[in-house]
Amino acid sequence: MPDPQSPESGKSETGQPDSPPVPQRRAFLRGALSAGAAGAAGAVAGVAGGYAYRASRPVPAGQVALENSQAGVLPPVPFHGRYQAGILPQSQRQTAVIAFNATAEGRGELTELFQTITARARFLTEGGTPPPVGIGGPPSDSGILGPTVVPDGLTVTVGVGSTLFDDRYGLAGRLPARLTPMLPFPNDDLDPAQSGGDLVVQLSAGNTDAVLHALRDIARHTRGGMQVLWRIDGFSSPPRPAGTVPRNMLGFMDGIANPDTTDQAEMDSLVWIQPNTAGEPAWTAGGSYLVVRLIRMFVEFWDRVDITEQENMIGRRRPTGYPLDASSIFATPDYALDPTGEAIPLNAHIRLANPRTPQTASSRILRRAYNYDRGVDQVGDLDIGLVFTCFQQDIKRQFEAVQARLDGLSPVDGESGPEPLVDYISPFGGGYFLALPGVVDSTDYLGRALLA
Amino acid sequence: MRRAALTVAAAIAAGVLAACTACGGGAATPANLISVSNGGCGSSWHLAGPGWYTFDVYNAAAESGEVDLVDPANGAIYAEVNGLGPGTSSPMRLDVGSGSYAFRCLFDDYDPMTGPTVVVGGHVSGTPAILPITSNDLYGPAKEYHAYVAAGLNTLVSQTGVVAADIRAGNLGAARTAWLPAHLTYERLGAAYDAFGNFDDEIDGRPDGLVGGIDSPRWTGFYRLEYGLWHGQGVPELTAVADTLDADVRALNASWPSTEINLLDIGLRTHEILENALEFQLTGHDDYGSGTTLATTQANITGTLELLTVLHPLLAPRYPGLPAVYTWLGRLSSLLNNNRGPNGQWIPVSQLSVSSGEQIDAACSQALEVLAPIAAITEPRIT
Repeated sequence: MPDPQSPESGKSETGQPDSPPVPQRRAFLRGALSAGAAGAAGAVAGVAGGYAYRASRPVPAGQVALENSQAGVLPPVPFHGRYQAGILPQSQRQTAVIAFNATAEGRGELTELFQTITARARFLTEGGTPPPVGIGGPPSDSGILGPTVVPDGLTVTVGVGSTLFDDRYGLAGRLPARLTPMLPFPNDDLDPAQSGGDLVVQLSAGNTDAVLHALRDIARHTRGGMQVLWRIDGFSSPPRPAGTVPRNMLGFMDGIANPDTTDQAEMDSLVWIQPNTAGEPAWTAGGSYLVVRLIRMFVEFWDRVDITEQENMIGRRRPTGYPLDASSIFATPDYALDPTGEAIPLNAHIRLANPRTPQTASSRILRRAYNYDRGVDQVGDLDIGLVFTCFQQDIKRQFEAVQARLDGLSPVDGESGPEPLVDYISPFGGGYFLALPGVVDSTDYLGRALLA
Repeated sequence: MRRAALTVAAAIAAGVLAACTACGGGAATPANLISVSNGGCGSSWHLAGPGWYTFDVYNAAAESGEVDLVDPANGAIYAEVNGLGPGTSSPMRLDVGSGSYAFRCLFDDYDPMTGPTVVVGGHVSGTPAILPITSNDLYGPAKEYHAYVAAGLNTLVSQTGVVAADIRAGNLGAARTAWLPAHLTYERLGAAYDAFGNFDDEIDGRPDGLVGGIDSPRWTGFYRLEYGLWHGQGVPELTAVADTLDADVRALNASWPSTEINLLDIGLRTHEILENALEFQLTGHDDYGSGTTLATTQANITGTLELLTVLHPLLAPRYPGLPAVYTWLGRLSSLLNNNRGPNGQWIPVSQLSVSSGEQIDAACSQALEVLAPIAAITEPRIT
């Protein structure tokens, strides 16, 4: 909704009497230094919070980012660009995934909604001083980040669900070709109250206060235009030991084998929707399909399982992350040498998820997982698990193909699962979305090509 | 402590002030210090031009005071610092646009003082100055609202009398029918609850916070009666409840002519009535069996609109968001009416479709956002 109090975040940068916020400057300097120290990885432009884009190869920059996030001084992630800035970077320390249903009346109000989200995201990711309101109202900002909003590496990633393309807004003819509702897989137990949504917003930052500040700000400016349907918060653990890969709540490193985000050709073939893709409306170019799966992990049950069985279910060593047939984290498992599953069982998670064959290469996804923790269930077990998110060019070709292998719907090497891991997890919510193309400049807004 | 008027310099020290703010020190740079006392109010200062400023307002006097930055031509306020204790300072932030600026100091035992005027030329918009509203301005609206409440209480007395009579006669069906209009009459009076004092707890209290909860003998009023009427309680038990309600309403009505409405409340209630509706009615929290919390919300809108009516002459020239207030209250009201059952009956919140619930919650929440500034604007100020 239009907001008479919307701030002009750039104002403090124009030589006006108030100085630009100093912590931001300092943080930027520190980020630059750390990037330099990290060598080649640091040379990548637009690196979020000092993280290297190269998701699968932790470098010292990641360590510096960790320190910066602990200090709350991650530098801003540039908001403008061909792609949304929150898609490629490694998982940040904190995230919130919030699905909304649109309540805007008509296309005009829906357009205002996307313009407002864009304006807020632009301000929040850059940081700055919220506008004073004099005696004309309550403070324009919640103040939980102090008098100056620090970016803390915030990224705001916005997607749309298939339900937005019903008869309310006249968008039926613009439905992305590969966007459907998320239907249950055989081992799912989907709760409608925690599934789907017209829009999804993912907020990621170095610290929980920055994530919640952004959520409160965006919600405050869009109350009439959308309502929260469901929300989940996630966190990414520090790599333990240092220099490895963050672990999930099963104790295993998660997301080791990701596509190389510094390889544009690989991103163009796996992540970004390309211009002139068959069947896709032109507006989707530069977007990426986002699958969110909320996955409960029955960790008490898991903790009662022998280590050999645990490792065989995953296909990796728990302490080190090594594939069971190798002696380094990033080694590629050699399934051709192991056709009967002597080293890595045929139904191990990593083997079904990514069989490493030419035929399955195009089904790879950019996986961005977070842990969640939200209390206890009726029998006193912890309600903790995984906020699984992944980006891809084609949900059917990629996520659904992977999930079909894991659920035993699509045999690999004659093995028809499901993977034994299904007994220890329960997907209960999430949805399919299309993460919109990026906002290229200050006159652009999220969804412009969709709504124009 | 210095009692003499201090000089004031304005305002340009890019980086320095923010650095100090960031390092947590209380001291501002001299360039941004506005010192006030009962001998002088920002006696010498200037502005370099339009832009965002943070002044550090320091009270060099021996008593607390209020410092406003005003347009000296008409007394409209750009920014204010309230209750500034002796020897303390507070930041004052504003976006300076084109216009005239002067500090004005209000100390308890002294006449208001206005310091020298600084003019910023050009056509740059900044934080708008708003004409302060005084207690005098609010007496008229308060009187109108008082009369509105008096009329409502007169109606209420007869309605609770009917409910009590129905129950005494053992006609619980009729009592259930008569309960709703009586409760809605009360819910339309939302701005006066604080003025009602203990009567509000007695007439419309919740069991929350009472030891024993719904079984507490201290739970009385409309919700208590609703609970009994919709949970099969018997005539003797309900007769006592209804008679207590009837008596409390009569006592409130009798005391009302001598009751004053706090002038501060009039502005505050413009959003607080619906804050309560969002918290207790649209969540279904206050549904004790009748399933009529959407009707209650509708009654709360009526109470809010009455407040806006009495405040309208003050708000119209001061609040550009006022049309949006009416737009969103209207949308919320329509949504509530459109979600009634086939015979016009109210349905419980829990039976709303997901999308209807979302639309209602969204409209109420947006209405609250645009209502919120009214409390700040209508706070009674000294000029």
